[in-house]
Amino acid sequence: MANAADTRTLSDPSLGALLASLYALCKPRVVALIVFTAVVGMLLATPDLPPLGALLFGTLGIAFAAASAAALNHVLDARVDAQMQRTRHRPLPAGRISGTQAVVFAFALGLASMLMLGVLVNPLTALLTFCSLIGYAVVYTLYLKRATPQNIVIGGAAGAAPPVLGWTAVTGSIDAHALLLFLIIFAWTPPHFWALAIARRDEYAKVGIPMLPVTHGDAFTRLHILLYTILLVLVTLLPYLTRMSGLIYLAAALLLGAGFLYYAVRLKASERPELPMRTFAFSIKYLTALFAFLLIDHYLPFYL
Amino acid sequence: MLWFRPLALAAAVLTLAVVVLGAWVRLNDAGLGCPDWPGCYGQVTVPQTAAELEAAQAAFPDRPPEPGKAWLEMTHRYAAGILGLLILAIAVIAWRRRDDPEQRVFLPVFLVALVIFQALLGMWTVTLLLKPILVVLHLLGGMTTLALLWWLYLSTDPKRPPRALAAPPLGMAAVAGLIMLGLQIALGGWTSANYAALACPDFPTCQAEWWPEMDFADGFVLWRGTGIDYEGGVLDNDARVAVHMTHRVGAIVTALVLFAIGGTAVWRARTRGARAAGAWLIVLVCLQWAIAVSMLARGLPVMLATAHNAIAAILVLTLVYLIYKSWRMQPTPGR
Repeated sequence: MANAADTRTLSDPSLGALLASLYALCKPRVVALIVFTAVVGMLLATPDLPPLGALLFGTLGIAFAAASAAALNHVLDARVDAQMQRTRHRPLPAGRISGTQAVVFAFALGLASMLMLGVLVNPLTALLTFCSLIGYAVVYTLYLKRATPQNIVIGGAAGAAPPVLGWTAVTGSIDAHALLLFLIIFAWTPPHFWALAIARRDEYAKVGIPMLPVTHGDAFTRLHILLYTILLVLVTLLPYLTRMSGLIYLAAALLLGAGFLYYAVRLKASERPELPMRTFAFSIKYLTALFAFLLIDHYLPFYL
Repeated sequence: MLWFRPLALAAAVLTLAVVVLGAWVRLNDAGLGCPDWPGCYGQVTVPQTAAELEAAQAAFPDRPPEPGKAWLEMTHRYAAGILGLLILAIAVIAWRRRDDPEQRVFLPVFLVALVIFQALLGMWTVTLLLKPILVVLHLLGGMTTLALLWWLYLSTDPKRPPRALAAPPLGMAAVAGLIMLGLQIALGGWTSANYAALACPDFPTCQAEWWPEMDFADGFVLWRGTGIDYEGGVLDNDARVAVHMTHRVGAIVTALVLFAIGGTAVWRARTRGARAAGAWLIVLVCLQWAIAVSMLARGLPVMLATAHNAIAAILVLTLVYLIYKSWRMQPTPGR
């Protein structure tokens, strides 16, 4: 595990550089999106404001768990990361931090998260968070990613868990509406990630990771992005159809969905090289906006 | 023999169904739906007509017939009966081909003995009024039948002729994990058979305490004599709490053991199948815990409790698969 980084002398031993590396290990931008969806889950769980303790410690606990999973992912992928353009500058392959430091950091974060959630929030949230963490760090990173082109489809379940975790932090139980939020992110992950995988196809092929564009080709992946986007747009209607959300959300979901479909159709129709990355970038804005509108709608409900 | 493997697989699938059906019967409080054995109120089928119901009532005045529960119990018996015939057919095929050195003979014949013993345990479960030790043995017998039929199916794959048995660390660990899982299933059965699942309605505390008052000595008396009706349980609160808490502690230990085995398999196993089994192990343990905690939160709904049993059975299958994949495919012991 991360032997390459262990044996190398650390290039900059100052405390500031260490902290910067630890921060980078957490994948702050990914964690920010995860925490955002979790907070939306918390706020949607009750008509009023959720209890402050659950909100505060639930958010921190989920953030720590997500950061721990990200750090473990860095450790377990260090060897592959070193061979890929996109990831070779990460702290471990670049030798800015040792494998041991990263592992200790990840375990400390995970432990802090479990204690915070288990003691200050509720044990079900701690349990589900632990399972998502293991699901991402072990089942996805170590197994699925290298085993099947359906890797990110199945592994998407771990990434789709945060709103459920947030919801459970407030209510203490797994509710049907929380599962709708899960379903949205679950359906969103394949088109989101495959857009990136098309752009990075050669790098994935080089390190032998069987991403869909590597195993089944570019055109097949573009078709699947389109099909999953259609599925996603249909799934995003469910919060309105089950009366969890109102018209503001419905309008936003339709407009955003039309935007995503526009990208997906263009991706299918045209080979232009900048399109995959632009679709990827849009997909992140899409999810952020969709969840923001779930929230706006929750506090400003308009029904027909 | 072309038919041998498909029959073994069919029997394994049917066993899974019979095990889960058995749990469904018990959790619906229908274990005594037919107070006699092998018939139901003295008949081959469930009493239905007014005359039959009257006769049943007269024959068992203490246990007025409830057709719904009787049907559950009889469905389990019919399914188990079909399974018994299937296993007998497998054994007959194996026995007739006993001169072929490739043919497994011992395992199929042993399975016939096991399934007969299971039938006896099923009978005693009824006639000795749900005596907990018999309920647990009946459950363990079902799980063992399942594991052995699955092993029979896996190990007769013609594409992978058996190699000399070597004991790689992962295979040994998986065997230890299976034993641990078996113990935990027994503890789970004991919790159910003693109606102790709701003795601790809260989680992770029990009756609002981390380590409540418990009576382990009374909770684990295996034999209390016959003639007692155990439906609803006979233990007092402290003994039930002891039983429940033991299952909880067992769950933590089992989860840690299975996580370690699953993680090692995912990380280090050489075959694709073993890595997949490791990943499944982790997912299933998580699922099992989530179901367990939800069961408590929702006051033990029958659906969730049955799912808890089903996941336990699937965990057994996964571990057997992992043992097979890590054991047979290693060309040399160790690494």
